[in-house]
Amino acid sequence: MLEFRQVHKTYATPQGPLTVLAGVDLRLGSGESLALMGESGSGKSTLLHLAAGLDLPDAGEVLVAGRSISALDEPARARLRRDTLGLVFQQFHLVPSLSVLDNLRLQARLGGRERAEWTAHLVQRLGLSDLERRYPEQLSGGQQQRLAIGRALAPRPALLLADEPTGNLDETTAGEVLELLLDLVREAGSALLMVTHSPQVAAPLDRCLRLTHGRLDPLATDDRPTSHR
Amino acid sequence: MLTALATLLSHYRRHPGQLAMLLLGLWVAGALWSGVQAINASARDSYARAEALFTTGLDRLERRDGEPLTRADFLRLRRAGLPVSPLLEGALEAPDGSELRVIGIDPLTLPGDSAFADASSSSQGELTAFLTPPWQTRVAPDTLPTLSVNAREATGAEPRLDEGRLPPLVLTPALPPGTLVMDIAAAAALLDSEERLSRLVTAPGELERAPAGLVLTPADTLVSPGQLTESFHLNLTAMALLALVVGLFIVQAALGLALEQRLGMLRTLRALGLSGRALVGLLALELLLLGLAGAVAGIVSGVWLARVLLPDVAATLGSLYGAEVAVTLNLPWHYWFGGLGVTLGGLLLAGSGVLWRASKLSVLGLGQAQAWRAGFVRQLRGMALAGGAVTAAGLVLWAWLVRQPPGEGLLAGFGLIAALLLASALLLSPLLALALAGLGQLVRRRPLAQWAMADLQLQLPRLALAMMALLIALSANLGVSSMVGGFRLTFLDWLDQRLVADYYLRPPPERFDAVQAWLSERPEVAELLPTRHADATLLEIEGTDGARTPHLPVGLYGITPGESLMPSWPLLATQAGRDDAWQAFAAGEAAFVNEQLAIDQDLAPGDRVTLSAPGGRETLAVAAVYPDYGNTRGEVLLATPQLAERFAAAPSSIGIVLAEGADEAALRDALRQRALGSDTLVDQREVKRLSIEIFERTFTITRALSVLTLGVAALALLASLLAQARERRRQLAPLWALGVPRARLVAIQLAQLGGMSLAVGALAVPLGSVLALGLVAIINVAAFGWRLPLHVFTGDIVLTLATATAVALLAALLPAARLWRTPPRALLAEESDT
Repeated sequence: MLEFRQVHKTYATPQGPLTVLAGVDLRLGSGESLALMGESGSGKSTLLHLAAGLDLPDAGEVLVAGRSISALDEPARARLRRDTLGLVFQQFHLVPSLSVLDNLRLQARLGGRERAEWTAHLVQRLGLSDLERRYPEQLSGGQQQRLAIGRALAPRPALLLADEPTGNLDETTAGEVLELLLDLVREAGSALLMVTHSPQVAAPLDRCLRLTHGRLDPLATDDRPTSHR
Repeated sequence: MLTALATLLSHYRRHPGQLAMLLLGLWVAGALWSGVQAINASARDSYARAEALFTTGLDRLERRDGEPLTRADFLRLRRAGLPVSPLLEGALEAPDGSELRVIGIDPLTLPGDSAFADASSSSQGELTAFLTPPWQTRVAPDTLPTLSVNAREATGAEPRLDEGRLPPLVLTPALPPGTLVMDIAAAAALLDSEERLSRLVTAPGELERAPAGLVLTPADTLVSPGQLTESFHLNLTAMALLALVVGLFIVQAALGLALEQRLGMLRTLRALGLSGRALVGLLALELLLLGLAGAVAGIVSGVWLARVLLPDVAATLGSLYGAEVAVTLNLPWHYWFGGLGVTLGGLLLAGSGVLWRASKLSVLGLGQAQAWRAGFVRQLRGMALAGGAVTAAGLVLWAWLVRQPPGEGLLAGFGLIAALLLASALLLSPLLALALAGLGQLVRRRPLAQWAMADLQLQLPRLALAMMALLIALSANLGVSSMVGGFRLTFLDWLDQRLVADYYLRPPPERFDAVQAWLSERPEVAELLPTRHADATLLEIEGTDGARTPHLPVGLYGITPGESLMPSWPLLATQAGRDDAWQAFAAGEAAFVNEQLAIDQDLAPGDRVTLSAPGGRETLAVAAVYPDYGNTRGEVLLATPQLAERFAAAPSSIGIVLAEGADEAALRDALRQRALGSDTLVDQREVKRLSIEIFERTFTITRALSVLTLGVAALALLASLLAQARERRRQLAPLWALGVPRARLVAIQLAQLGGMSLAVGALAVPLGSVLALGLVAIINVAAFGWRLPLHVFTGDIVLTLATATAVALLAALLPAARLWRTPPRALLAEESDT
């Protein structure tokens, strides 16, 4: 579903070039879940942006569903995001002027992939049934993140990319949201790449990789965090 | 795509005020622009119809002694083989009290290609109907309301007027408004003119010289109303353009804010799979939809505005230039597309910057408002550079203008004023930023004041456009009011100086000398001031720089240089003082020229002018230049006896200066007994009242547009403040949490805005004064031919400063009231809700 082949990414900074990814190789199969850990500034978000086609590698290849994102022009990359990917952000990034229900259906409708039963199921599973007509600013942080997850999963994407999805939530809420996220990802049959700095969040996923000095290292089985479930 | 468009537009559902401001900006700009264009288009249509009637090249023949021509004169000339045609003109009162112009023609002798001929016939049958009883009245459809006739029942209708029933109506759209064309026999019966004719006309160039006792005026020396009123319409267009620009400032401010507030949404849409190109396309589509809504509303309101203003404008054009303008709108098809095009084009111009910036912002940085704000520093630098460039361009234009002869360069003058306003607007934000940074340093020991300065700097990107609009509107307002006020003062002085007689009498030409002789014997009369007038061609000018042959038609006007007139008659320039000038004038050795002619032909006292005269050529020295406001043509002034003798000038009027303690009633009675009643005798006070009324009406529309522009600028400021009100509350919340009371926060907000607007008002004072100078020294000279002294009124300056502060405080009041009403806890809740 997702493959990185010797991906390099460097940014120009006032202090000189900063290499964020230095030959990253990564494979993520369909339905598989992978946690990506690392210190702040280690390049986790850059990797996620590359996977989403929001940015392009300086060298190497990023393949999503078998297609190299570098070979696609900007509209084609946008189409790929719309049709194949779901994105969940730490800051939620909901559209403040749309109601809860309209936010939830937004991506599915953009791609013409809305399924009424699945949407209803998501609304019910996410606990948003009584909040459909409200606006994002009228929701709590946990409700907003659940809504963001629902929006990303509404088109049943082949790959869900989540950037610190519980980073803005308290521990209890974070646990509830994560559990719901993983359940729904399984129900949707999506692959999941989740960036997190929390071992507890990473624990229930199939695999866990750490990004250090621009390279990915698999975590030894013993080092793997224990699920908080 | 529809989902994405609906998502973009959903922003306005949550921020209806922003949408309202955007539409309001478009609407106001569109309405003012379209309104003025509707007036111009309607007036031009009237001129075109009038010109079609008169300037198809009919030379005129009139009697040299001013007495009316008769049918016998016509027959005599025709028998002598001259191809002349009789014309009878008169006025009738319409049922609604307005004046209708009756033109009687003889289509059989009228030159075949003239518009009169077109108006009278198109087929043999129609010609017969036109020529024979019950005749026909040719009339344009827009004259029907004046006749109280319904358009559907117009053809064949015979409306009754006080003077009798009109011949059956036939609609002829090509005729000017308020004009009835009919056979000369029908017109003579209606006007009760018996054998009299107004003039004889002939094909252009058909007669080489005038027959004995007649004056020939070639058609090409008759100035068309379109030419005369061009500068009036140009002034209107300039004011409307100013309103459009200020309105578009609102639009750009609102668009910029709407986009800034939607940065998060844009990023999300991009992340959800909408391409950058599609997003910019959708934003452009949104612009187009809003533009269409605003433009249509603007055009509809503009037409309404034009309907309201047109009667006043028509009256002004009629009294100033004698131009007949229909009081009902007559809009050509291109008007509608033009209005739509200009509004949409302006919107595209205002929105292009926003679209460009949106397309350039990276999707990863799109959600960061800071990225937008950081760009403002770069923008300030750009604005300073652009302001410098426009200033340089303005200086080049000015350098070119001062090398031109006076009265030249109307468009360049407007260009210079536009450059001045644009440069000031561009330099305003960098100047304010510098001033705020400096003030912040000065008050660094007072934390709240320092915060207020820093906070104002943060607000500047959002307020900049509104402040620019305010600066332009205030300057224009001050410039226009200084110009109009100065003109008013000068004009009133000039009226007092020129209208020295108590009464003005216009006896019939044949009785002029007898009446003058009779009046000179009356005990009530202290002095008589007879005037005469004639037309001539300025053949040659001998100046210090050699001789020129302009061949320019000029008016000749004769006055009586007596005790009453000489001390008060204003002179702008003389060769050797007033006394010498009057002495030479009274002796018939010299003439005076009006300012228009002096500027147009670069004439100065000491030059010599040669004029065409019945006896050949007459050469006169120019002793002085005099102001002649309201006159549209060049004029040479001579002593009345000289004018009568050398130019065979027709008598015009007799000014009557009353003796001390004279019995006015007795004089009026005596005049009435000699059939010289109210239709020939005019009270000086009445002349002044009418002149002032015309003056005030002339500038009504200018003042109205100027005030409306200021109103638009106030709206721009209100739009900016409302749009950022919510974010402002978030910024103020921490201060409240730190212990600053809400009342203080409200006061700080008002002080910030009031202070900044006062600074803008203070900048508008010198700018407005320079603008007034440009108007009186360049625009007026080029447009009207006269120069006015520059007056800057303290009252206007105080009003400008007060207006600036009041506008800002009014605009700040609503957001401040909202802040006042917001419970303190809600402030912090909003602050955390980001």
